[in-house]
Amino acid sequence: MNKRLVFRTLGTLLIVEALCMLPSLLIGLFHRDGDAVFMLESMAAALAVGLPCHLLIKPDPTRNMKPKDGYIIVSLAWVVLSLFGALPLYLSGLFSNPADAFFESVSGFTTTGSTVLTDFSQKMHGVMFWRSFTHWIGGMGVLVLTLALLPKLTGRTSWLVKAESPGPTLSKIVPKMGDSAKILYVIYGALTLMLFISLLFAGLSPYDAAIHAVGTAGTGGFSNLGESVGGFHSAAVDIIITVFMVLFGLNFGLYFRLITGGWRDCLKNEELRFFMSLFVVCTLVLAFMILPIYGTFGDALRYASFQTASIVSTTGFGTADFDRWPEAAKGLIFVLMFTGACVGSTAGGMKIQRVMLLFKAAKREVKKTFSPRSVQIVRLEGQTVDEGIIHQTMVFVVVYLLLIILGTFVVALDNTHTLIENMTAALTCVSNVGPGFGAVGPAGNFTSYSAFSKVVLSFLMLAGRLELFPILVLFTPSAWRR
Amino acid sequence: MRIMIVGVGKVGFTLAEHLTTEGHDVVVVDQSDAALRKCEDTLDVLCVSGNGAVAQTLQKGEIDHTDILIAATATDEINMLCCLIGKRLGAKYTIARIRDPQYNENLSLFEHELGIDLTINPERATAIEIGRLLRLPFASSVETFAHGLVEMVGFRAQIGDAFVGIPLKEVRNLNLPQVLYAAVERDGQALIPNGDFVIEPSDHVFVISTPETISAFFRVLGKNTKPVKRAMILGGGRVSYYLARRITSGGTSVSLIEINPDKARRLKEDLSNVNVIQGDGTSQELLEQEGLRDMDAFICLSDRDEENLMTGLFAIKQGVKKVVVKNNHISYADIMNDLGLDNIVSPRQITSSTILRYVRAVINSHGTKIDKLYRILGGKAEAMEFEARPGASYIGIPLHALKKRPNTLVGMIVRKRKPIVPFGDDTIEAGDRVVILACESGISDLNEVISK
Repeated sequence: MNKRLVFRTLGTLLIVEALCMLPSLLIGLFHRDGDAVFMLESMAAALAVGLPCHLLIKPDPTRNMKPKDGYIIVSLAWVVLSLFGALPLYLSGLFSNPADAFFESVSGFTTTGSTVLTDFSQKMHGVMFWRSFTHWIGGMGVLVLTLALLPKLTGRTSWLVKAESPGPTLSKIVPKMGDSAKILYVIYGALTLMLFISLLFAGLSPYDAAIHAVGTAGTGGFSNLGESVGGFHSAAVDIIITVFMVLFGLNFGLYFRLITGGWRDCLKNEELRFFMSLFVVCTLVLAFMILPIYGTFGDALRYASFQTASIVSTTGFGTADFDRWPEAAKGLIFVLMFTGACVGSTAGGMKIQRVMLLFKAAKREVKKTFSPRSVQIVRLEGQTVDEGIIHQTMVFVVVYLLLIILGTFVVALDNTHTLIENMTAALTCVSNVGPGFGAVGPAGNFTSYSAFSKVVLSFLMLAGRLELFPILVLFTPSAWRR
Repeated sequence: MRIMIVGVGKVGFTLAEHLTTEGHDVVVVDQSDAALRKCEDTLDVLCVSGNGAVAQTLQKGEIDHTDILIAATATDEINMLCCLIGKRLGAKYTIARIRDPQYNENLSLFEHELGIDLTINPERATAIEIGRLLRLPFASSVETFAHGLVEMVGFRAQIGDAFVGIPLKEVRNLNLPQVLYAAVERDGQALIPNGDFVIEPSDHVFVISTPETISAFFRVLGKNTKPVKRAMILGGGRVSYYLARRITSGGTSVSLIEINPDKARRLKEDLSNVNVIQGDGTSQELLEQEGLRDMDAFICLSDRDEENLMTGLFAIKQGVKKVVVKNNHISYADIMNDLGLDNIVSPRQITSSTILRYVRAVINSHGTKIDKLYRILGGKAEAMEFEARPGASYIGIPLHALKKRPNTLVGMIVRKRKPIVPFGDDTIEAGDRVVILACESGISDLNEVISK
């Protein structure tokens, strides 16, 4: 491990994190709840550690960044980021238990949105905004942000971005990584702003609009209301957030192509088509299933589309408690918790592209049994998919399921929850969705788990956000050797 | 500047590496996923998979916004087609690697119609480079600047050379022709010497001056400045063909050893003045038989680096004064230098630096100010040629009063076609061409090197 490079990059990231705390500090000052001081303390702590690391450690120029270093930096970065991000939550007394604060912070950065917060009544505007703003930072990735701000951070940055961005292959939109990162953040910021303004028009207060705008943008799911988005009781807000949850589940590269005039290419995008069809079909099916509960088809459609968008984009906002829906509807939602949205979006889950690859590879195997000598290739977006990528996808899916199974077992050791609760808790964390079923459902909460289980679930969220392998690298002894 | 490189083999990769570190937007196109993955993993470039001679592939890399298209695939025809299509689709400049001698000879007829702005033939460029080395047998490398008015010659310092062992500022008091000690390579490291620097025996020294002064310098030192009379070439590839043709016309008698009978016969047909020998050039017996000992120069140009290395070492042992070895793996150059082989040529490096030089010239017309660039000491240092613009802060001030960037050196000033070896009291005037040496790459303006 290239220690100097790792520590220096971590230092830089902490400085960026301290800067990211600035909006929350200003909101805290504006609302005069007395919580600005906690933001300030946390910023000071991040700078106190980050600045010396960034300024004093000079990486060895003769040693290039190796893939291993990239993976270690990314996974350590996310752990360190979550630790410092938990500071405001803990210092302010929002959470009395450090494990709770860490869980909440990880859930924020990984854009999961599973919460252990039970008391939504206290007035801490700054800290509560920070809790949601972590979604926005984590959605696009903090290293991507760092790269956009400081393109000359290190020489070979592709390993960093590779480890942080979602999807089986790295897709740059312009030749330079730093420029790509900048463009992505501009698109991200512009979409967030559009959502914010729409929510203002729908009648939300600027503070509520901001919280839900950043929560939707990162496909996170933290709300400042106990009842989540449902608490607004507004069809307009529901529809706006539904649309934007879908928009933030699309590949951001497509937006760039749209702007640069390639809208035909965008429509041809196989993954986009699959994702949209999945969304429409599931919404309709779900609407019919829940029609008896809501009476009118319009209402059923409103709740079905919101829940579908929320789950499939792995946001986790809720306007209805799907735990009380018919078993068939619950079954469909359970399936959607696996898929996730498009690659290159802020969503979690396995990603539509992997699901498509999986189906195509399976179809090929079936064809092969019919005629063993036929040559079969897998095509995606009009191009032949490299066998190595198919192999990687298979391994990814298997490890994904393995983590859920093992996670279910480990949190079951608490002996407090039902099997379905434990299983969906592990699933919702790995997929970065947010709610599960039962006690951890949309109306429920993760507080009832033990501190140990919360740390395990935090690990599952990090593994899910970083697409498994970077986090697993941390657990291999060879990562820590020189 | 947006640059597209089609074909990321050895040359393409080297080019991409250099152009990205200089901050350009580089798109690489290749059919091999493995080659692209290597680029993606190590370089900050955009990768496009596909055949570079197909319009759709080029469009995927946004050829219409591309400033320079470099076609460096292994196939001449594809390179030509690529440039033709690329130019039609909007690439501003195109560079093609064309290696077949037959194409090369009549390329001038239709270069324009093909839309190719520069063709580069790696083998011929290598042959020219070797020819330059043979002209000064004592030198291990020769670079020319300012249209040939200035030369930079590299050679190995030996015990007994007058300038060895004393600080450079005292060397000036010796009665030697005035040359500038521009760079020294020691233990594989490039150093730019200052006045207190002491040259040690077996250092690789680079001096700059006019060709006449350099010849005089070597004469005073008692080095061999006689041109090569008899040369032996190992291997009958394309480089050998070009080289043999070049040096026989200069009056050198050439023996060429080729193992393949058909190839040997064809070479004899094309090169009637050359003594073509059919046989295994790695056999010591054959080499001795054909009079290796009496040769002034021995040039190893077989396809295999190892063969070149071994026979080269054998020739040195036999007492041949000048041994030139072709090596494709430039990273081994340090090891070869340690073994006593100073004259190593790499077609890959020669090609990439020729293309880089052209790219710099194009960029120059778009804002930055480098006229020419040479990579020296196996890429460890660079020599750059700038034009001093009127109104710059350094104009008219003695060099010793200017602030200099560390590890750089003002190597030469050419004023009104007259070269000046610069010392502390000299000044740079507007319109001068200034050669700068630096141990780092990425300098794009004279202002970055010297300032008030």
